[in-house]
Amino acid sequence: MSEKQRSAVAWRLFWKITAYPKTVITVGLTIILVCAVFVPTLVKDTRSDAFLPDDEAALIDRDKVKAIFGLTDPMVVAVVNEGPLGVFNPHTLKLVDWLTKEIARLDNVDPDRVTSLATENNITGYDEGMLVEPFWETPPSTQAEANKIRKAVMNFPLYVGSLAATGGEGTLIVAEVADQTRAQALYRDLLALADRAPLMDGEEIHVAGEGAVSGYLGSYIDADAQRLNPLAAIIISAILFIAFRTLRGVLLPNFIVVATVAAAIGLMAAFGVRFFVITNGLLPVLIGIAVADSFHIFSQYYEEQARHPGDSPREIVVRTMMHMWRPITMTTLTTMAGFLGLYLASVMPPMKYFGLFAMIGVAAAWLYSVTVLPAWLSLLRPKPSPAYRPAVKAGAYRRDVFARAMTVFGHAVLRRPAVVLGMAAVVGGVGVYGALHLELNESRIRVFQKDESIVRADSAINRLFDGVHYLDIMIETAEREDLFKPENLKRIEAMQDYLETLPHVGGSTSLVDYLKQMNRSLNEGRSDAYVLPDNKELVAQYFLLYSASGEPDDFQEEVDYDYRLANVRISMDSGKYSDEKAVVEAAQQYIDQSFNASGIQATLSGRVNVDYHWIKRLGETNWGSVGLALLMVWLMAALAFRSIVGGFITVAPVTLTVLLVYAVMAFSGIWLSISTSMFAAIAIGLGVDFAVHTIERLEVLLSDKHRTLDESIAALFPSTGRALLFNFLALALGFGVLATSKVVVLQEFGSIVALAVTVSFFTSLTLLPAIVKVFRPRFMGLSRQVGDTVQAASLDPAGKESKA
Amino acid sequence: MKIQQLFGMGVLLMLICEAVWSTPLPDADEIARRINARDEGVAVARSLTMRLTDRRGKTRTRETRAFRKYYGKEKRTVIFYLKPANVRNTAFLTWDYPQADKDDDQWLYLPAMRKVRRISASDRGDYFLGTDLTYEDIKLETRVSMNDYRRKTTGEDEVDGHHCYLLESIPVDEDTARELGYGRVEQCVDSEIWMVRRSRFWDIKGKPLKTSYFRDIRKVQGIWTQHRIEVENHKSGHRTLFLFRDVDYEHGVSDDLFTQNALRRGL
Repeated sequence: MSEKQRSAVAWRLFWKITAYPKTVITVGLTIILVCAVFVPTLVKDTRSDAFLPDDEAALIDRDKVKAIFGLTDPMVVAVVNEGPLGVFNPHTLKLVDWLTKEIARLDNVDPDRVTSLATENNITGYDEGMLVEPFWETPPSTQAEANKIRKAVMNFPLYVGSLAATGGEGTLIVAEVADQTRAQALYRDLLALADRAPLMDGEEIHVAGEGAVSGYLGSYIDADAQRLNPLAAIIISAILFIAFRTLRGVLLPNFIVVATVAAAIGLMAAFGVRFFVITNGLLPVLIGIAVADSFHIFSQYYEEQARHPGDSPREIVVRTMMHMWRPITMTTLTTMAGFLGLYLASVMPPMKYFGLFAMIGVAAAWLYSVTVLPAWLSLLRPKPSPAYRPAVKAGAYRRDVFARAMTVFGHAVLRRPAVVLGMAAVVGGVGVYGALHLELNESRIRVFQKDESIVRADSAINRLFDGVHYLDIMIETAEREDLFKPENLKRIEAMQDYLETLPHVGGSTSLVDYLKQMNRSLNEGRSDAYVLPDNKELVAQYFLLYSASGEPDDFQEEVDYDYRLANVRISMDSGKYSDEKAVVEAAQQYIDQSFNASGIQATLSGRVNVDYHWIKRLGETNWGSVGLALLMVWLMAALAFRSIVGGFITVAPVTLTVLLVYAVMAFSGIWLSISTSMFAAIAIGLGVDFAVHTIERLEVLLSDKHRTLDESIAALFPSTGRALLFNFLALALGFGVLATSKVVVLQEFGSIVALAVTVSFFTSLTLLPAIVKVFRPRFMGLSRQVGDTVQAASLDPAGKESKA
Repeated sequence: MKIQQLFGMGVLLMLICEAVWSTPLPDADEIARRINARDEGVAVARSLTMRLTDRRGKTRTRETRAFRKYYGKEKRTVIFYLKPANVRNTAFLTWDYPQADKDDDQWLYLPAMRKVRRISASDRGDYFLGTDLTYEDIKLETRVSMNDYRRKTTGEDEVDGHHCYLLESIPVDEDTARELGYGRVEQCVDSEIWMVRRSRFWDIKGKPLKTSYFRDIRKVQGIWTQHRIEVENHKSGHRTLFLFRDVDYEHGVSDDLFTQNALRRGL
């Protein structure tokens, strides 16, 4: 199909759309309503596990081990007193006793599954036998009694570091959660309980635990996003108003925002895709995408009005669309290509769906911009925008201050194209350097601001105790009761001894520790008897004895019912990926080289191992996903401009943007993490529009042979340049609002995307004209000979354009 | 008056009489007294197989020989493990004293250590040797505690084809409830032989905790004896099966069995 034929088809299409405007609008509204009906069925999913694909091996292993040993993510309440006596004074121990009873009373807590100094037994040996008794029947009333309890607890290695802080400054109350899906409510109940606890000077209560973190995380981010997303919409509306200074120029783009969000989120709900934590970031992206097309359509619409004040609304609208359908279709396709790259390359479901539904949103925004928007505008009586006033000369319009500013900007670029190219090269170099120095890391607690109670709880607990980040190691032997064999137990003991020397490992627990404790208790409590028993029968009998004083499933977290599988739990005081990586890799190396033997095998599991694996995978796949997004955009642009070089020129600004984003992240210490790994793809998706609009308009302007090259390029700035300026301001300020978020990740998201949009805007309007001027690419219809320009024409490029 | 009408009136009359003159449910404390008045024998020797199953269906089976004898109100129990081989001859001896303020005495013999060790008394609500029965459940055997609960008869039911009265027991106070680990107990008591055939337990928060069935009840040397106890813990999914064999109330329970020396000697 030739250019002419295509124009004819487009003309007929828009003529038709504007022939039945009410029908088009009604259909548009109906689709929005249908999509909106599904929105309430959206299911939220804030679990950190939600980031992993269901078939992730580490996750499957972890769940298997969890099921075998009945491991849960409990709530942890820490009572801290950093006074000279620590928690071992009558008042604090009474507080522990009171809290333990109150927690057992809470809804969603199994009263038999609350563990603290008030519930646990002290097992001591004496010459005749063994004494199993609670640390206290009633809390101590004198300091002397409290001192005795301190001595007893500190003499019980299994509790030191886990139930009681090594220095006695704190003690934990651990409550298993009956129903994990209601963990968030329990967390609130525990905070309320901590509030009404009778505290003495120096006493503090902290509430933590994985259940608390993921539940809290969800509501925390939601609350923040719900505050900021409307603010972003208001700011974008304000920019729309400044750009066009009319009601329709503000309201109709907002209508497209509603349609875009309804389509993306409604379809998400309809297909049962869950709303993840990072889906909150999709909303500002959708808003930004939805209004982008409007900026260009309205700019053209008001230009047309200003030039031809007498024309009918329908003529104005159809002419506007004739100008704009091609660039906005191209930007839609390239943006979709960018998000398709994210969709294809991501391993994590939330990001995959982010890519997919951003694509759907872009498509919806385009569809409404080329149908409902012209239909609606054709119904409205033309009313000129104060920003586009007719000029004295017929067929021209007066440029407002923004257009004039852009013109000045354009002249500056045209005067020094070499400087522009040089700067771009420097930015690219710095970007490559930064990208190479980017640190892959992650820490869930980092999401929250430092003064949040959950952060203080986490740091207090990890500082005073062994730590609450668990690496589980499953030991598998060949036969039932093989774990009674001393050689197997010694092997486990040696591994624990080694792992405890690693940094950030606070301690470890396994059946070995219980057996040693039992051996000591049955040997008059002698400390030299804190060793493993050396014959199989004795081990079997110790376990039988233990079961005599414990509950039927007392040992379930350490050993399975056949005594064939055991779990070794390593406690770490850091949830940072880099710390976890060191421990996981050292543990795996030890297992491979020193532990595994015939008849006994160890496998890593637990949250630490899961985190290690998928964040590592995130690091490995990140460059691929950015590369794929760029490749998709290049391919789409090359097809659209029917030029390989055109494709490269289109991706040049976003490539620079991505490099600069990485450089800023590297230099400001922002890690490449779960959330930040998406920045590049989003920056590509949003930023490529600037390049496509610029190139498309340059192509059109250059096809007019009555102007010099410089004149054609200069003509870009007041028209398309002005529209891009407002598009850029809307996105930069809209995302900039997110930088005021309480959520650290959203702050980073907002500021980095704002930065990316800024870089894309400036590189598109500086680098691209400079490239065109210096390299004269052939796909734009330019030949390599300098000076083949046609005779000078009017200095007012708008006047020329009106011929179109 | 037609025959059918006469017949109909007759049925109606019978129903009215049934409603007016039917015997009221027996008093709960009376039921409890009857349960406790049953002969349990002064001494008993029996083989006990304990089969424990965890929530994943894995089982541990332990074969023991157990003896019990009353010395007035004092009760002595000894249990010798026979299988599996690696715990063979492990033995527990307990002396339960009737005085509430006197702790029980317990001794343990571990053959691999060749030592008798005294171990501290267990709480009433503690689980017995890793089973789903508590020390209190074991101590009471087929009896019920008179002082711990307030009880009432709530209705009738049938278990394994036997008619029984439903007896609901609520601990007298919160401390007792916490000590026992039960917030409510409902027992189905056989109305002929006054033995509990089924017990349901709720925890102190009112959540279903466990259900026990007492089955294969037949007379041994003139004494009604249960040969099978099935317990399922609804919270943990853990199950316990007790199978009694070779029950003997008349022979083989010498006083020497309930001593530390007997533990060392083994069976």
